[in-house]
Amino acid sequence: MNVIPIKAEAGITGFESPAAEYQELGLSLDELLVEHPTATFIGIASGDSMVGVGIFSGDLLIVDRALEVRHGDIIVANYNGGFTCKILDKERGLLVSASQYHPPVVIKELDTFQLEGIVSRSVRLHRKSKEVFSCLR
Amino acid sequence: MFALVDAVAFYASAEKVFDPSIRNKPVVVLTNNDGCICAVCPIARKLKIPKFEPYFKLKNFLKKHNVVVRSSNYELYADLSARMMTEINRYSDNQYIYSIDESFLHFEGFNRIVKDWHAYGHEIRRSVWRKTKIPVGVGFGPTATLSKAANHAAKKLPGFDGVAVIDNEASRKHILGMMDVGDVWGVGRRISKKLKIMGIHTALDLANQPAKIMRKQFSVVLERTINELNGTACLSWDEVKQKKKEVYSTRSFGERITDIHSLKSALTAHCSIVSRKLRKQGSLAKRLVIFAHSSPHENNYYKRAFIHEFPVASSDATVFANAVKNVIVSIYKPGVRFYKCGIGAIELEDGMHHQADLFNQSQDKPELMKCLDEINNRFGSHTLKIASEKQTSSWKMRRDLLSPRYTTRWSDIPVIQC
Repeated sequence: MNVIPIKAEAGITGFESPAAEYQELGLSLDELLVEHPTATFIGIASGDSMVGVGIFSGDLLIVDRALEVRHGDIIVANYNGGFTCKILDKERGLLVSASQYHPPVVIKELDTFQLEGIVSRSVRLHRKSKEVFSCLR
Repeated sequence: MFALVDAVAFYASAEKVFDPSIRNKPVVVLTNNDGCICAVCPIARKLKIPKFEPYFKLKNFLKKHNVVVRSSNYELYADLSARMMTEINRYSDNQYIYSIDESFLHFEGFNRIVKDWHAYGHEIRRSVWRKTKIPVGVGFGPTATLSKAANHAAKKLPGFDGVAVIDNEASRKHILGMMDVGDVWGVGRRISKKLKIMGIHTALDLANQPAKIMRKQFSVVLERTINELNGTACLSWDEVKQKKKEVYSTRSFGERITDIHSLKSALTAHCSIVSRKLRKQGSLAKRLVIFAHSSPHENNYYKRAFIHEFPVASSDATVFANAVKNVIVSIYKPGVRFYKCGIGAIELEDGMHHQADLFNQSQDKPELMKCLDEINNRFGSHTLKIASEKQTSSWKMRRDLLSPRYTTRWSDIPVIQC
């Protein structure tokens, strides 16, 4: 944080807040979490195959379509007509789950597979308030 | 060099962005109130589905071919359009957004950077597709009109793969020669009919006409079009789109209306829309057309239209609403099943150079309207409205086949299987 090193002075008329000169823009979660706003969308996770990497059912997934995909990325793909979140094993052509109950899926020739974007962040709502609940459903 | 970048069947393509299950299916989108088909995706185009045909006439045909039918999801389209335009903007320092899915680019001094316009066009296509999942076509030309012609070629003519470039005589003649004169930008249907009678059938035929003589027979607009087709740029962004000379807001009702209060509410709502559009472009209206009618497909077709003249030109929603109040008793007739109504502002004046009147004082309250606009811009378009606007909801748009608003409502965000 950049702070301007000027001593705070009280004005002659009235008593100004000494913090007034230090005021900056508030922190924005958008700025922190969304790198490419035009190429990003938010989805909601459903299912428990990714719990090993900390993605639980009901979490918000921030999906970035601008990032270059790398081996081992957590991705969202159009897999046979639905959005699916998996770990991409580029070398072996596998969609790997982060759960021992879900075996890896081999992408076969007849499958529809289209990379939709990289899950760059996920957001957990640990305590679901009434407001959040009414927003989401 | 100019470019025109536009989306392939934008509304239909937008429906596919967040619904991968329909990416490989034929998709069509309906207009307001699910009336007509207004967008046909390339897969559906192969079924030869005609555009602007009433939906009810084609319902069985669409069902038989498993065509996905959707209502217009304007919230989704507006958001995706903004994303697409921002992506396109990365490729030029001079962009002009022409419509929700079309954008002109002007390249000055790019010749040193861009060696191959064809490759550059493909780069734009790839990038927009990857980041927004909207397919676009790109046309390049030395003038805006030629870039529009190239764009037409890129998408509609055989032998092009989504990108077309006019950068020499051969490519210009090749593309214009294959193009119907009616497809030239700025040539309306009526003019193209007349041109064809004169033996001018293709865009190339038109380009070969003497511009000065055509100006006398038609207009200065056509003269410019001819010059543009020959590579002389004469349109600036300001001329590309002029201020609207008339502003209308009309809509058919989701269900028929028979009572006077509902009709008045609907007309008042149109007043709000028209006056907001006027304020946005800085115009004032001297006359207002107020009309309502029953369905022309039913017996006893009934139509009434009145022209209300203001003593002083106005763009105030409350002044407009008062005009409706004055004529509503003359428009309404008991027993008529009203199907459609609307408001049109005709005879517009420039708000900047408005001639004040000594004897007639303006009833406008600009401060109030400014406040109204600001609140509605910030909190959504119907946050504040005139009280008489919404005594009814029956004039609301019918959108029975609406997809989720994936990007503007939390409750509608896409589900991702884990």
